[in-house]
Amino acid sequence: MKCKRCRRAEAAVDLPSHHAAFCPDCFFLFFRRQVTEGIRKLRLFAPEDRILVCVSGGKDSLVLWDVLMDEGYETEGLYIDLGIDGYSDRSKEKVFAYAATRGKTPIVVELAKEGIPIPEAARCVRMQECSVCGTVKRYFFNRVAAEGKFTVVATGHNLDDETARLLGNLLHWQRDHLARQHPLLPGAGGVLVRKVKPLWRVSEVETAAYGFLKGIDYVTEECPMSEDATSLVYKEALSRIEDRMPGTRIVFYQGFLDPSNPLREGPKAAAPADAAPMPEDPPVVDPLRVTHVDAEEDMGTPRACAACGAPTYAETCSFCRLKERVRKARELRATKVSR
Amino acid sequence: MLRMITVRLPQKKLELEVPGPRRVMDLLAEAGVRPTTVIVTRGRNLLTKDHRVEDGETIDVISVVSGG
Repeated sequence: MKCKRCRRAEAAVDLPSHHAAFCPDCFFLFFRRQVTEGIRKLRLFAPEDRILVCVSGGKDSLVLWDVLMDEGYETEGLYIDLGIDGYSDRSKEKVFAYAATRGKTPIVVELAKEGIPIPEAARCVRMQECSVCGTVKRYFFNRVAAEGKFTVVATGHNLDDETARLLGNLLHWQRDHLARQHPLLPGAGGVLVRKVKPLWRVSEVETAAYGFLKGIDYVTEECPMSEDATSLVYKEALSRIEDRMPGTRIVFYQGFLDPSNPLREGPKAAAPADAAPMPEDPPVVDPLRVTHVDAEEDMGTPRACAACGAPTYAETCSFCRLKERVRKARELRATKVSR
Repeated sequence: MLRMITVRLPQKKLELEVPGPRRVMDLLAEAGVRPTTVIVTRGRNLLTKDHRVEDGETIDVISVVSGG
């Protein structure tokens, strides 16, 4: 099969959803255009933004970092060591090896040192690891970004991730989650840092192909904590549909993002990327104290967390509540052991 | 000795021997893998789903699905 663009070289990537097949060089152009179009269409960020790219060692985040650097954006990588035996070490190794090829040194947060490694924290509070992981990562994404004066936090969520999440939210009619689901979550006044998902238009196959062809050595093993993740069930269902009806995923997601979609109405509809600090920025929050946000609840006007001073929409932020539950569980365990 | 196509699925720690020649999409069907969930490589090359694989060649089927 010949490349549909240059019509000379042999195709290496076939994309039924685009009725196309590309040779490596033409695929690089196609892929980067998909990402830059995704940034431009939703005005995710501007050339002058400082972007903190959250890198896990997997294909999506490393590819995202690679593309943003190639496009000339000012970026730094943030790696969060989740404290998962073996897997975290191997992931960290991939992140550092990739960063070295680009002359970068990632910022690292070690959850074991922060007193909240994911496997132990999840056991303590009897919650799913992915749920605990999400709360903890969102906290540190924003905290590191705010402390480092980054204007944007970027994650490697792709089209498959976003459509799986959308399907889950629809099946359970999670109206509040639907109203907030978007590749751009606006920031506020330097304390809530804008969060973006620039890979929202590209599929997992496309990011994997890009990473492979670019020689990016990423972790191919799956996080051992995510084996039972419900998102995998939704991905499975959507990939069956995509096999039979190529292009369904992007139509599904773009239709959802359409501003005229009534499900999109709500307090978290996307703000323009170049928006000034939101007028409802909370006067009660002291920006000098604020380093993170209870991002899970980012609706309406935030106030300061009673425990740590971070902006939140509850009395205390979800991270502080989680830490408190872990602390109590450890105390209880210690008491039982000492009896 | 009969030379066959070797299909490796490293994440599943599986290896299949299949008589060739076969198209990649047929090999995926043989392995019970859906095309939208993997990339298929031979050495440093990426293969399209209609690529014809010959006896004696080895291909890797890499899952691209991430969870969590």
